[in-house]
Amino acid sequence: MDDFIEELKVQIIETLALEDVTPQDIDPEGQLVGGDLGIDSIDVLELVMMVEKEYGVVIDSKELGAQVFASLKALGDYIRQVRSEGRAVG
Amino acid sequence: MADRQRVFISGMGIISAMGIGVDATLKALQRAATGIRPLTLFPCPFETPLPVGEVGDLPRVAVGLPRTHQLALAAVQEAMQDAETVPDMVIMGVTTGGMLSTERDLKQGRRIPRFSPYHAAGSVAGVLAEECGCRGPVMTVSTACSSGAVAIKLALEVLRQGGARTVLVGGADSLCRLTYYGFNSLQIVDRHGARPMDRDRQGMNVGEGAAMLLLTAAHQPPPRAVAEVLGGGLSCDAHHPAAPHPEGRGAYDAMAAALSDAGLPPLSIDYVNLHGTGTKENDLSEAVALRRIFKENLPPVSSVKGCFGHSLAASGVIEAVVAALCIREGFLPANVGWRHRDEAIGFCPLEAPRSQAVGKVLSNSFGFGGNNAVLVLGDAAPLSTAPSASDWRTLQVRSYACLTGAGGTAATLERFFRGASCKGTLAADRLTEGLPPRSVRRMKRLPRIALGLAARTLRRIEGVGPISDVYFGTAWGALSETHDFLDKLYATQEFFTSPIDFVGSVHNAPAGQIAMREGARGANVTMTGGDASFEQALTAARFLAAGGRQSVLVGGADEMHPIFSALFDRSVTMADTPSDGGGMLLLETAGEAAGLTLQPGFLAPVGNLGDSLEAAAAFHGGPDGINQRIGAIMVGIPAVCREEATPLLEAFRRRLGFEGPFIDYRRYVGEFGSASAVAAVIALALLERGSVPGPLAGGKEWALAGRGILLLGLGATLSTMLADSSGSVVRDSGGSYCRKTPFGEPIP
Repeated sequence: MDDFIEELKVQIIETLALEDVTPQDIDPEGQLVGGDLGIDSIDVLELVMMVEKEYGVVIDSKELGAQVFASLKALGDYIRQVRSEGRAVG
Repeated sequence: MADRQRVFISGMGIISAMGIGVDATLKALQRAATGIRPLTLFPCPFETPLPVGEVGDLPRVAVGLPRTHQLALAAVQEAMQDAETVPDMVIMGVTTGGMLSTERDLKQGRRIPRFSPYHAAGSVAGVLAEECGCRGPVMTVSTACSSGAVAIKLALEVLRQGGARTVLVGGADSLCRLTYYGFNSLQIVDRHGARPMDRDRQGMNVGEGAAMLLLTAAHQPPPRAVAEVLGGGLSCDAHHPAAPHPEGRGAYDAMAAALSDAGLPPLSIDYVNLHGTGTKENDLSEAVALRRIFKENLPPVSSVKGCFGHSLAASGVIEAVVAALCIREGFLPANVGWRHRDEAIGFCPLEAPRSQAVGKVLSNSFGFGGNNAVLVLGDAAPLSTAPSASDWRTLQVRSYACLTGAGGTAATLERFFRGASCKGTLAADRLTEGLPPRSVRRMKRLPRIALGLAARTLRRIEGVGPISDVYFGTAWGALSETHDFLDKLYATQEFFTSPIDFVGSVHNAPAGQIAMREGARGANVTMTGGDASFEQALTAARFLAAGGRQSVLVGGADEMHPIFSALFDRSVTMADTPSDGGGMLLLETAGEAAGLTLQPGFLAPVGNLGDSLEAAAAFHGGPDGINQRIGAIMVGIPAVCREEATPLLEAFRRRLGFEGPFIDYRRYVGEFGSASAVAAVIALALLERGSVPGPLAGGKEWALAGRGILLLGLGATLSTMLADSSGSVVRDSGGSYCRKTPFGEPIP
């Protein structure tokens, strides 16, 4: 089990008040936005704030957001990549 | 039936990033200037402050008032400089109100007890009415970015239908942190300055300002008429809280409705003033709708938001001033910021100002909640034939529901009829009982109350056609979302915000949610004005609901917020039990009144309460009329004015010689802005019951005997509503709003 992915699941559920979703319900490879979880474009913007605040990773355009939030795995990979390159802020 | 009145602009005032006054604004437009610069109004932690449309030198017109109020006062002074009479009515579009001052107070840690009498969006209109001595109805539309245009449409209908002879109408909003950081969190701010309709556009820039119009009803153009307001159309996307419908469905509906209201074909339009904020989605959906309306014959178009920025509630009125100037001066403004044709948009806006005669202008305003308003303005030409008369409309009650601390409608009525308390705040999950939890997960308290009310109202009845319009009144709006947004902002040194809370913070978010859930694509209007907010919503419905058999929802609600309610509403701090809730009605427009009806009545700011009570009594036919037609009076006395009001009410009752019950309803439902919406539901239930139970009538059951119930609301505004179970009584009482000026004098 990937601890970082599990941590992100909890962050997403808390940030978006997904009361009827458990961490097991989120498939790391599955579609994050517009799928069964009911996550839409405003939720993505809320997640953008969370990712910047918690991990110092800035996602400042819709185009980048579309790639990064394609799946939970893509999000985790992007955060790890930016942090390993020392590009995180704050 | 009197001929429908025409409506003319006979005075204008404007203040914005483009300058102070009509002349300065005109000159700036003619040289295609822009007022967009980096923010200086408040400190911001970004390396480069975002570009905004900020007013440079705000003239000092009044001390101690928030910036929005000052902007509005400056515009009023110009609009009224040549006016010979006091306007009968004031209607404003405002969304942020005193937010900038409230933000400063919160930042400095000023909390209880420090009341912000000018926080409310509705307080701007109150200040203006006082400034110009208006003693008639004072109303405020709060539908985010379309507020100003919706206010003009409401004024147009009031004037056409004889509700007033002159209306001072306008829009105002100052820059504040809520909107500055809020729009940024949505990633729709263009850091290079807005480029509406451009291929490379990246978003909008928030602006600020105020614009005011003095509108006059007449059959032929009065002296100093600048232009005529020919029509207006309202619609709701019922699609998404913040994003427009991709095919511009609501934008199309509103443009089509405005043209039809003006009785004009698309070909007669000489110029379209676009909403054109500069965001990718807005501009594209507006373009799709325009191509559908105009087909191959699109007239010249431009957005002036690259000049003014997007001044939110003010923008619809600012752009109406621009449209009137186009007509008066014979010129078209440039779409400042535009450079590259966007193939997806499929047309080019005006690159430079152009001189040409302009007869008729279509002006678009769209907003959050999918709230759309479109106006048609034209030159003030004499006409040989009068326009056709307006339909008389009665609002017939089909269903109702309320929420209080006691629970839903049945629980509330059961307790109220026993004379027991319905105070308290219902748990959040009970508010939205029966709705899928996922559909309400992003909602805090007020939208939950509103959605819960709509679901309960519609659940009670079968065979309802599609809901067309939604009218919603709220004194304070979504306090939880507003509080949480600012709290998070300050907790993170202004680096982080919540886009969800921002979108939910606008007053019209709850009504937008109702529209999305119920597919209501007609007018979607949120009104605000303290304790008479529900009365304003009912009045707006009375004037705006289209003729024919239309189903409309009219509701009012307010939430109890542990910090903000006490900061803003003094009556809340005097209550023994924190309370909230609201009420909602399903109304049907009908030609003839039959069955249960609820009609708006008197609505005016209180100067001297005794005099106001007399005026309201006269409006309803004086002591004789009231005793003959009214079986019970339900009176809402906010705690803050209870001490002053009690002896005056007692004297009023003696003078009327009224023997029926006086039901002091806030004693049972508690202290909150829209308590009168709950009272309206209770009044309708009493009418169905046919009598007032003993515990509310001094011990003995009191028969209503076919008479109606007068709802009397006190506070800063004195308001009345008349609930009746026999339509003919309403029409005979002389209380029919549309036949009277706000002062109760028949129009000659």
